[in-house]
Amino acid sequence: MRSTALLRKIAQVVVAPLIALAIALLVTSLVVVLAGNSVSVFFDVMLTPPSQRIWVNIINQTAMLFLAGMAAAIAFRMNLFNIGIEGQYTLASYSGALVAGMALFPGTLNILAALVVAMAVGAAWAAIAGVLKVTRGVSEVISTIMLNSIAITLVGWLLNTYGDQYGQGRRTTPIPESSQLLGLGFGFFDTSTGGVFALASLAVIVGVGFALVINRSRFGFDLRATGGNEAAAIASGVRVKKMIVISMLLSGGVAGLIWMPDLFGGADYYGTPFQSGLGFTGLAVALLGRNRPLGVAFGALLFAWLSVQANPLGLKADISPSVVQITQGVVVLVVVVVYEVVRRWGAAAEQRALRSTLETAPAGGQA
Amino acid sequence: MRTVGKIAAFAAVASLALAGCATEDSNGDGGDDAAAEGTGACTAPDGDIQVGLAYDVGGRGDQSFNDSAYAGLDKAVKEFGITATEGEAADGEAESAREERLRTMADSGMNPIVGVGFAYSESVNVVSDEYPDTCFAVIDGFDPDETGNGNVAYLGFAEEQGSYLVGVAAALETKTDTVGFVGGVHNDLIKKFEAGYTAGVQSVNPDIEVLVQYIEESDVAGFGDPAGGKEAAAAEFDQGADVVYHAAGASGSGVFEAATEADAWAIGVDSDQYLTAPKNQKPHILTSMLKRVDVATYDMIKSVVDGEPLASYQVYDLSADGVGYSTSGGFVKKYVEQLDEAKGAITNGEVEVPTAPAE
Amino acid sequence: MTTSVESGPGGPALAPSGGIEVRGITKRFPGVVANSDVNLTIRPGTVHALIGENGAGKSTLMKILYGVQKPDEGTIAVDGREVHFSSPTDAIKVGIGMVFQHFMLADNLTVLENVVLGAEHLYGIGGNARVQIKAISADYGFGLDPDVLVEELGVGQRQRVEILKVLYRGARTIVLDEPTAVLVPQEVDALFANLRELRASGHTILFISHKLDEVLAIADDITVMRRGKTVGEADPATATKHQLAELMVGSELPDPETEESTVTTTPMLTMRDVGLTDAAGRDLLTGIDLTIHRGEVLGIAGVEGNGQAELVETIMGMRRPTGGMIDVGGANVTRWTTRRRRKLGIGFIPEDRHRHGLLLDAPLWENRILGHQTSRQLNWRGVIRRRAAKKDTRRIVEQYDVRTPTINTHARALSGGNQQKLIVGREMSGDPVLLIAAHPTRGVDVGAQGAIWNHIKTARREGLAVLLISADLDELIGLSDRIQVILRGEMVGEFDPDRVTPQELGAAMTGGKGGEQ
Repeated sequence: MRSTALLRKIAQVVVAPLIALAIALLVTSLVVVLAGNSVSVFFDVMLTPPSQRIWVNIINQTAMLFLAGMAAAIAFRMNLFNIGIEGQYTLASYSGALVAGMALFPGTLNILAALVVAMAVGAAWAAIAGVLKVTRGVSEVISTIMLNSIAITLVGWLLNTYGDQYGQGRRTTPIPESSQLLGLGFGFFDTSTGGVFALASLAVIVGVGFALVINRSRFGFDLRATGGNEAAAIASGVRVKKMIVISMLLSGGVAGLIWMPDLFGGADYYGTPFQSGLGFTGLAVALLGRNRPLGVAFGALLFAWLSVQANPLGLKADISPSVVQITQGVVVLVVVVVYEVVRRWGAAAEQRALRSTLETAPAGGQA
Repeated sequence: MRTVGKIAAFAAVASLALAGCATEDSNGDGGDDAAAEGTGACTAPDGDIQVGLAYDVGGRGDQSFNDSAYAGLDKAVKEFGITATEGEAADGEAESAREERLRTMADSGMNPIVGVGFAYSESVNVVSDEYPDTCFAVIDGFDPDETGNGNVAYLGFAEEQGSYLVGVAAALETKTDTVGFVGGVHNDLIKKFEAGYTAGVQSVNPDIEVLVQYIEESDVAGFGDPAGGKEAAAAEFDQGADVVYHAAGASGSGVFEAATEADAWAIGVDSDQYLTAPKNQKPHILTSMLKRVDVATYDMIKSVVDGEPLASYQVYDLSADGVGYSTSGGFVKKYVEQLDEAKGAITNGEVEVPTAPAE
Repeated sequence: MTTSVESGPGGPALAPSGGIEVRGITKRFPGVVANSDVNLTIRPGTVHALIGENGAGKSTLMKILYGVQKPDEGTIAVDGREVHFSSPTDAIKVGIGMVFQHFMLADNLTVLENVVLGAEHLYGIGGNARVQIKAISADYGFGLDPDVLVEELGVGQRQRVEILKVLYRGARTIVLDEPTAVLVPQEVDALFANLRELRASGHTILFISHKLDEVLAIADDITVMRRGKTVGEADPATATKHQLAELMVGSELPDPETEESTVTTTPMLTMRDVGLTDAAGRDLLTGIDLTIHRGEVLGIAGVEGNGQAELVETIMGMRRPTGGMIDVGGANVTRWTTRRRRKLGIGFIPEDRHRHGLLLDAPLWENRILGHQTSRQLNWRGVIRRRAAKKDTRRIVEQYDVRTPTINTHARALSGGNQQKLIVGREMSGDPVLLIAAHPTRGVDVGAQGAIWNHIKTARREGLAVLLISADLDELIGLSDRIQVILRGEMVGEFDPDRVTPQELGAAMTGGKGGEQ
């Protein structure tokens, strides 16, 4: 009994994503062939063992994607679709960079202040959608999409109006040197071109915190209960409206952290180095990881690997690196289907197990 | 004979508006003092030259910026018998991805390496330090920090000068004394187009009204939104404009549609858009402001082939034929005299074109 | 209704037809065999009752007969001809019509429109159709006006519209799934009168039920199902209720009767003039006054949908009353949140266990926590005590005989009865002072039913106050110390369960002395 349950779990956690990945790579290969390119070169490039420097990039991307995935997962576990992570982290990144650039505090304190501001801004922006949902019944899907546009436009306007002139663009004031964090090499990675972002550690903290809060705390239970069955949660005494606002606050707060590792680890200011799109990719990563920290970490690593490794495709194989976006898209589509198939298979297996238990049980009125 | 306007690569200058400096320092010729500038310029390779061209998002086939860079590359490849490799950016990529692309190119011995687009400024700044012997260039680029890069050329354009000329054409053509401008994104770069255009229009007749519309405040989607372009242009035509100039990238096709429907004029941007427009729109494209990315790309490669690599800020202005206007369709033939006059006034310094709209 | 029309589709006095012969039907679902070698002979022109407990396989067989599902093995013959259905359309073609327990009518359309919908090709949508409907209605004494809106009809009348629908489509065999579940006794009598008319005119009726009194009253033949098999046939002329029950469950029937009264004078739940309106301002509850004492079971009788769910949700704090006062054990809880009320020791067995009582995709031990998140036993300063939760779940599984392989099994995998036992066990944990129980034994097998009753009786002896809502009048009369009747959101009468009969209760539930409202 125990071993089959374990087997089922392994199947669900490992086999399903692998199947999805295999199908996605198949589809991508097909696209590569149809575009008249060589599949073997494609895989050659994608599977080249990364150099130390590339590993650093993969890890950095993984950390930021993981944070984005966690932000999405918090809301997903409540059955809330926070499509607005993109806008939340854009606005939060700008605000964090602005505050860090002001250098109101010395060194590390300045970093902490910027992190707090970024989280607060991300949380506040997400909370707008939460409050609209509980007071006016506005679907968070719609409101967060709208808030994305508003946030991106707002940041552009702020930057254009108050930013420092900088080439043909604008940027926030660079953060003082005392607040710039050197990359970590862990005695292994090449740090000459910048090592692993020091604030990639935020990903670990958020991941562990998420696991503890969601699985072990009463708050986490309430959150999962609401996500699993809202009506039952209400009957059990959960104040769903309050939970909606709190989980949007948490989701937005984590979203606020997404770009912070890069800001303090290399970018130094908000401007062209800002990486957009992480919020949307985070949704995909969360789906891939079934909203569990380890799963999301795996998903983030996979996506980071795909996008970083795809970079030289254009140079080495004359294939647009954007082709891996097809892989990423198909992985997510397929994984949703495969998870459902595996889930049904698991449910059927559980029913069988139940029946075999009942048949060996003493006779009763079991219908 | 093409000449290249130059300015010195003093760090303090970096934050100044490019064109303003260019007109001051431009002396019509200066191609031979490249080596004197910067600190430790790159060395042109002795043997076979391999060019690395790193595109911005979209890559080749965008009928605009990237394609224009490719045209220059293609010309150089054919002329000098050299080889070239192209790399392309992915949507929403990290800064580190751009750096990595440049490193991969430098590692495989490519020299020169050209980053197409403003977004490469910072990655080139980082990577050029790691490969001091390799020559780099950034189109529309700039030096983001205070340490000079002797092995980097920043290839900029005086878009306001070209815009000034098409502004003159628009002013001469208008019957309603109202003309329009549609910008893709309301940033400093596009404001340069607006400023030059407005100045050109008003140099002919200060009473002509210039209607200004931007599709997006900051979202670069404004460069890929034909529906938004059409809406903005249609609004200006409705308000009485009969010539509308766009600086909105791919959104421009919407502007052309609006002009065709309003039976009025549109002015293209970057490349000669008369050539790529659908047949029914051709009679409505008065002219196009040309931004010769191909020229800049070709020049950079040529300078390396010649063993005198370009470095520092290079401004492609009117006098360098880096900007201009197109005559396809022949609609501006009758204004050539006035246009040449305006051009002369700019190149000899009589007229200084503003780079930012009046507040 | 006065005009006499020539016979409609299958009008009276035709030769009996629509007999069905089911042989060796087997239907498997992943992990479950729902029907196993089912045999059934329905003679034409009779009322044939199919009885069995919930989960005995009646619904599956019904779906097979109606073409919704295909059997894995076995044959079906109608009037001696073998038939194969791939959809309900095929079933209706050979004259089999289905009346579901939950009506499928559009409230805002008239009777005529509802009947004609989807069958426009038969008699059009105008005068012809009206004539047909009037004819059928007159033939079988339905008394339906084709031009009345369905929303104005009572439950019994709606059911007749459903039957009219299948007759209109030419059905000779009518399958009725638990038709009396939604009816009060007077309406049941009216339905049976209609069914006898239909039988007299040669129609064949398959009557699916688990209410033995009714079956004995109407059926010509009885077939019993248990665990997916047909386990026997009985002749209603000679069979007793007791025999049928034993066939159904293979064991003795438990008795809901409580022994001596344990009612005290300490009020545990008091509601004074409680009112509730919906968003549109319509009254859902009006002037509710009730008191339950320690050790007392107060039964609430009423036709479903008369405010029972709203009453429960108001007591639990899931809805805010628009007026009045609610007091639990001396504390005025009118404005308290659900969680705060639960902390006082209110147990809650919801009417719809899937909707309000379980996290179907969570393991049993997590379901043990649901509703008791704040209990000292299960949480320490905001941290869930997983070990304690698991231990207590094992206790419930044992004490309440929840049939499950492990406590890590997902609630979804359990049968309805076992889910209910888990909920009852959970809500009886931690010594509640007040239990709100809505249909506590609905859908559970007879053995579990007895066990649940015993648990409630034991707790009541120890001073538990219970608000009991049930559609099973026997359960209500047997367990309650007092019964109040709710009708359209108002308490309309109080009865002593020792003296009241189901007929009297039924009359009060429909707001009159009898018959339709």
